[in-house]
Amino acid sequence: MSAFEPTIIAFVCNWCTYTGADLAGTSRQTYPLNVRLIRVMCTGMVDPQYVLKALLEGADGILVSGCHPGDCHYINGNYKARRRIKLLKTLLPQFGFAPQRLRLTWIGASDGIEFARVMRELVEQVRALGPSEAGAKMVI
Amino acid sequence: MKRKIGNVLVVGAGIAGIRSALDLAETGYGVVLIDKAEHSGGVLSQLDHQFPTNHCGMCRMLPLVERDAGGQFCLRKGLFHDNIEILLGTRVTAVAGEPGRFAVSLRTRPTWVDPQRCTGCGACAPVCPVEVPDAFNAGLGLRRAIYLPVPHQVPNAYTIDPAACTRCGACVSACPCGAVTLSTAERKDFRILVVDDEAIVRQSLQSWLEDEGYAVDSAASGPAALEALEKAEYQLMLSDIKMAGMDGVELLRQARALRPDLAVVLMTAYATVETAVAAMKIGALDYLVKPFDPDTLVPMVTRVHEERLAARDRQVEVGAIVLAGGTDYFDPRQQEVNPYGYGRIPAVVTSLEFERIVSGSGPSAGRLVRPHDGRPVRKIAWLQCVGSRDIQCGADFCSSICCMYAVKEAMLAQERGGGDVAATIFYMDMRCFGKSFQRYRDRAEDQGVRFERGRIHSVIPAADSGDPTLRFVGLDGSVRDETFDLVVLALGQRPARGAAELAQMAELPLNPWGFPATSPLSAVRTERPGIVIGGAFAGLRDIGESVILASAASTEAARVLHGAGKSLAAAENEATAFRDVSRQPPRVLVAVCTCGSRILPPGDRTRWVDRLKRDPAVQETIFIDRICTAEGWQALADAISAHPPNRVLIGACHPYVFTRRLRELGRLTRLHPALMDVVDLLGPRMAAAGEGAEAAHDPDSLPRHLAMALARLQKTCRLELEAMPVRRQALVVGGGIAGMTAALAIADCGYPVDLVEAGDRLGGNLPWIGRTLEGHDLLALLQDTAARVGRHPKITVHADTRVRGAFGQAGQFYSTLENTGGVVQTLEHGVVVLATGGGEAATSAYGFGSHPAIFTQKGFQEAWAEGRLDPGALNTVVMIQCVGSREAPRNFCSRVCCPTAIKQALALKQQNPEVAVVVLYRDLMTCGFAETWFTRARRAGIVFVAYGLDDKPKVDAAGPEQPVTVTVTDPVLGRPLTVTADALVLATGIAPGLPADLAAAYGATLDQDGFLAEAESKWRPVDSLAEGVFACGLALGPRNVEESIATAAAAAQRALRILERERLPAAHLTAVVRHGLCARCGRCIEVCPYEARRLDEDLDRILVNPARCQGCGACEAICPNGAAVLNGLGMAQIFGMLDQALA
Repeated sequence: MSAFEPTIIAFVCNWCTYTGADLAGTSRQTYPLNVRLIRVMCTGMVDPQYVLKALLEGADGILVSGCHPGDCHYINGNYKARRRIKLLKTLLPQFGFAPQRLRLTWIGASDGIEFARVMRELVEQVRALGPSEAGAKMVI
Repeated sequence: MKRKIGNVLVVGAGIAGIRSALDLAETGYGVVLIDKAEHSGGVLSQLDHQFPTNHCGMCRMLPLVERDAGGQFCLRKGLFHDNIEILLGTRVTAVAGEPGRFAVSLRTRPTWVDPQRCTGCGACAPVCPVEVPDAFNAGLGLRRAIYLPVPHQVPNAYTIDPAACTRCGACVSACPCGAVTLSTAERKDFRILVVDDEAIVRQSLQSWLEDEGYAVDSAASGPAALEALEKAEYQLMLSDIKMAGMDGVELLRQARALRPDLAVVLMTAYATVETAVAAMKIGALDYLVKPFDPDTLVPMVTRVHEERLAARDRQVEVGAIVLAGGTDYFDPRQQEVNPYGYGRIPAVVTSLEFERIVSGSGPSAGRLVRPHDGRPVRKIAWLQCVGSRDIQCGADFCSSICCMYAVKEAMLAQERGGGDVAATIFYMDMRCFGKSFQRYRDRAEDQGVRFERGRIHSVIPAADSGDPTLRFVGLDGSVRDETFDLVVLALGQRPARGAAELAQMAELPLNPWGFPATSPLSAVRTERPGIVIGGAFAGLRDIGESVILASAASTEAARVLHGAGKSLAAAENEATAFRDVSRQPPRVLVAVCTCGSRILPPGDRTRWVDRLKRDPAVQETIFIDRICTAEGWQALADAISAHPPNRVLIGACHPYVFTRRLRELGRLTRLHPALMDVVDLLGPRMAAAGEGAEAAHDPDSLPRHLAMALARLQKTCRLELEAMPVRRQALVVGGGIAGMTAALAIADCGYPVDLVEAGDRLGGNLPWIGRTLEGHDLLALLQDTAARVGRHPKITVHADTRVRGAFGQAGQFYSTLENTGGVVQTLEHGVVVLATGGGEAATSAYGFGSHPAIFTQKGFQEAWAEGRLDPGALNTVVMIQCVGSREAPRNFCSRVCCPTAIKQALALKQQNPEVAVVVLYRDLMTCGFAETWFTRARRAGIVFVAYGLDDKPKVDAAGPEQPVTVTVTDPVLGRPLTVTADALVLATGIAPGLPADLAAAYGATLDQDGFLAEAESKWRPVDSLAEGVFACGLALGPRNVEESIATAAAAAQRALRILERERLPAAHLTAVVRHGLCARCGRCIEVCPYEARRLDEDLDRILVNPARCQGCGACEAICPNGAAVLNGLGMAQIFGMLDQALA
């Protein structure tokens, strides 16, 4: 292994970002394999525990991505996610994680190129952060 | 639920067609949805952003009640519903029959790519040598002759553009799936007879066509041709018209008698074109004007050949037909003079091109750069009314949509440019005539969008840069030149291509503007019963209105089917008795489609099996080549039957395309489809393909995808959720034209309706309005409608009655009615339609009430009707528009006042040609075809003077004896203009009459102006956020009579969707409560966006209404105790997926 390859877990909403990710695939927009998509119905259902569990199990970066503000299929789920993620970022250092490991974006259904770009960017950012602080230090 | 009690054909799969199809499908009818394009979604597939959110939101049109019947996917990807069959590349070729039983012939164009085999891998496009303008990107950029019509749609099979294809065969050999068939061998079987008395013509045609591989014979005269036709069978005859002896037309007649299937194309000199056109009426397919070259001839022959040979014809039997073909856009190149330089100045683009520029899937991936040189755009101008409100280009109408999309595009441009973009809109009138439009426009102005009034004469390239330069005259008379980086032409609408032909086939007339005509006072019904028009097909509607009209069209179609006794009833589907596997440990059958070896290289099988076997839940892993084919699917069904598993996981390609097949598989194997899942392995494989050889062969990537899906599936259980019973009758509140229309529509479909009216008689505003701008008699409409309501056995009218209180939810409401006599009764009903109407807004502005000559529009109309006012005695009438409208606090346009003013002004002129009428307006809102009457009014000498909010007219009415004088600044003269008026008419607009407590009793809310707050202004325009509660007419928003009638029919359709069911079924993805863990904290109740949860005090439990729950999972995320669980995608499943993802 030449360089550190971060593992990213991306919680993507069923309506917008998942569709955007799909479009990225069908329009040959390549993005790194380090990203593992977990399709949720809405970013508003992403429990902070999901993020923490992923980090504690060894993910190096987490993306939560849903519909643009005002565009949520479930009316306001992305607003709930926005509040929750902001709060969670302030809590992450208490668990020993750099808050930059968690990112929230809005990626629409036709933003396949944008999705691929965000993924590449995120992988580079997390690569710069280095491997997750989880592991030996932490006991759940 | 009863299913498929009749079929409907919906022509056009744009937004209106989709709405109509979904409406009918949700109501239980079978739908055949066709579109002539190779994709669904119409123009919306190209538009990423819609106001007022500036995003999409189309998915909110998906079924809310029986969610599992439709795919729970982004609607831009495609439409998936059990009851909807979609045929793309298909058009109507003939319509026969009568309402309730039409026989429609359909013809599907061949795509030359087998969609069953094509996986959308895209290997074919790069090898194609042909490049043509890419229609999806509005001509910005190029595509190949083999292409994806819409990149984000599924099934994403490639298609071949026959006009561009050179048949080189490169794609055939490049396709790894053998999906492309491009054989020219069958051309040998296409026999052509060339008839011309000139040998040179015969010889050249023969050689051109034989070079293309066709079998060609020739004949020198008509009789010789007939002889040849008798001897052998030909598919096409190319015949000259002018020949000695027997001419081409006579030959055509005799040849068609001999061989009725023969296609005949006539060749004609320019002088006899008229003869050729006439010959098309007796069966000629087309004509060619001599002289022509092979480039003209060959594509035509190819087209005839392909249509003949490969097109699949099919006949469908349907009870009703909905025409939802949408509209097209004006082509600025068409204009004789092209003053805006489109096509000549590269930085002049159309509005559709601009939409593609800012689209994430567009040519510049959403970056705001000029398409021709990639330079960032800093200064943009929009020119309004290009191809609209322009008699010179035959458009004496307002296209209704351009003002709002220009405002949206200007805001998008500013957003994209990060505050660094100057956007200017050059307009004549900003027609922001919808409910929230004015505030949206004001928001744009606050954000710095500049609005300049005036029509631009022409656009010229700047001498130095070539950038487009506008020269315009400001209102103060000064001439200004301004250069922009980009000029966007806000193109108006035109009848859809093929609309006239379709109308002719359906025997429908066209209206004076060239759109298919609807019946008077109906925006959807046509002269021909059983054929209705949905959406913008009949002209000039935005998305929200199109959606309303589409639903209204569905109502009319449903009515026809009901009236026809639902005669085309298909066999009811037996409810499948699924195996109960709830007590069994998970046993999963994993079926992997190898897709040739594209998903799974053969050497990797053991590794995959080993990886999956780690999970004890896996019963068996099988590999099937092309699971999507009939054989592949059968192999899967056989495997399931051999050792019945209790979960099935399929690793293949797009999950979307399997939705319906899984349900069929479920019926076959008695395993519930909720216990099956499809995971996309091809997408990740393709996304990885460019990541270098090492990454692309990361051997664990795809098995990990499967393992994650497996973790989710094995923890999935199917819950037998209680379906909510439906009280199958309706309550309609309000007895105006909207309420009566809604009541009749519901009652005509067989459900009892209670119609509550607060007044003593039905009719609302109709009596005072009298007639419409177009001259339709509203009193006759009222009489007729009220009589039909009165004698309808299913409608009970409660006059002098109000709703005093109500509670309940979709399917079961309880309402308490009280009449003026104090008699109280309670009604049970499943749905409620709020049609409480509205009236003219009150005012005290401009001296109203202080002088007998100052009227409101209604007061003026009434005084005139009652004879208190003699038009013959009036010298001067002044009308002031926007009194208290379009400014805070009533900052919305009432949209009926401008047409009313014009109606009154024209009527005055008719009765007294000497009367001077002056209309003082801000923006004249004669949208759509009403523009024609604005033109007529100007021709009739009615004077229109614009005023601004900062300089309103001043009215001086010292006393009842003194004359009324009105002073306004004339913007052209720049000087005050004083008019002494015998009558001053104030247009005060509409005030809604929907009591907040009534709406609240049903769980609905009002917007800031007192109209019902619709669930979504574009996608669910007549629904409230509370399911089962709908609104129509003026309760919903300002509308004229015809539009109110359409909203009423649309509301009825939304109501029928629920009433057609005995129970409201729960979807698989629905929240449930673990009562043992629940602390009754109630946070889930607050967080639920659909008010699906409530605390039942008697049971001391939180209950979920499965009919309301949409499965968003917000409750699960907020619950501190893990008591709220989203069945199908709960914490256990996500944790399981995370374990596998990070294993």
